[in-house]
Amino acid sequence: MTPAARNEAGGATTAGPSAGQKWRRLLRSFHRDIGYAVAAVTVAYAVSGIAVNHITDWNPNYVIAKERVTFAPLPPSDRDTMAAAVAERVGIEAPIKDAFRQSPTKITVFFEGTTVDADIETGVAIIETSRDRPVFRDLNFLHLNHAKGWWTWIADLYAAGLIVLAVSGLVMIRGRNGFGGRGKWFFALGVAIPLAFVVLRYLG
Amino acid sequence: MRRRLSFAFVCTAVLLLAGSAGLAADGQVFGKGLSGTETVALSALMAAPDEYVGKTIRVEGLVVDVCEKRGCWMELAGDQEFQSIKVKVDDGVIVFPVDLKGKRAVAEGEFTKIVLSAEQQKARMEHEKQEHGNDHAAGEPCEKDAKPGVIYMIKGTGAIVR
Repeated sequence: MTPAARNEAGGATTAGPSAGQKWRRLLRSFHRDIGYAVAAVTVAYAVSGIAVNHITDWNPNYVIAKERVTFAPLPPSDRDTMAAAVAERVGIEAPIKDAFRQSPTKITVFFEGTTVDADIETGVAIIETSRDRPVFRDLNFLHLNHAKGWWTWIADLYAAGLIVLAVSGLVMIRGRNGFGGRGKWFFALGVAIPLAFVVLRYLG
Repeated sequence: MRRRLSFAFVCTAVLLLAGSAGLAADGQVFGKGLSGTETVALSALMAAPDEYVGKTIRVEGLVVDVCEKRGCWMELAGDQEFQSIKVKVDDGVIVFPVDLKGKRAVAEGEFTKIVLSAEQQKARMEHEKQEHGNDHAAGEPCEKDAKPGVIYMIKGTGAIVR
């Protein structure tokens, strides 16, 4: 019996939600809960996205410091003697992990967290120290899927969640603020901007 | 009680997932790891490189340099001094962290020969300068001296670092 029929029959029932209203209510619930679930990863991916977009201007993963030092030139000798002499001349007391000679006068000496690239003939050395860039290294690790394995599936699930958010966001509001109202213009803007870059790619 | 169980479940899941990341008993595994290919000494490779072009080979050595920004290559020094070879991997497929420098690695992939024109050589030198900054020790070749040449590298498919 429809609500109208019930009214005609003298029933006291009020009109329940229509199928469309039920569907929208369900969609809003989905949209809200998926939104909670993906919020953290969305922020993480967005921050990492900005960081790696500017990779030509900075190193988003590491803080690498390079210091140029000069020292009194050294005579060429065997690798281990050269490595020890360079370490002493540049003032590094940490144990030498390993060393590599690129040529009879150029040597790279490896310490824990530090690398010294030295030219014993000219007496010029570059002392390089590197450390993880806090927070960004971890965010990039997730965003660029360096984790691989299980994270690939979790990231796929997350992407599917974003698709659900996007589509449900388009249709869950009715009226003048919905897709049929002003929404379609914002949507069109969101399509037009990336589309323009794709078109320019083919024209240029 | 339920809250504690939920917390324990989340902790267990995080630990299991973290444990599944690429750490093998014999070292840190990158990409597909290693197959059964025989190891070729870098000195033998450099003595007759054209014999190995197109073949899948494995080399072992000291990691002397790593791509600082993308981790898309590492350079391995071999069994003899003054010799090294670049192991180039597809961007994002394998990522070598910079802290591999000074560690021992075994890498595998296709041995590749690339013939470069003077222009390409210049572009390559400029790119390398950009990657390293202008801070290399004196005596590095300059872009204006770029000449046509041949470079050999390994298109890496996997590696293990110890």
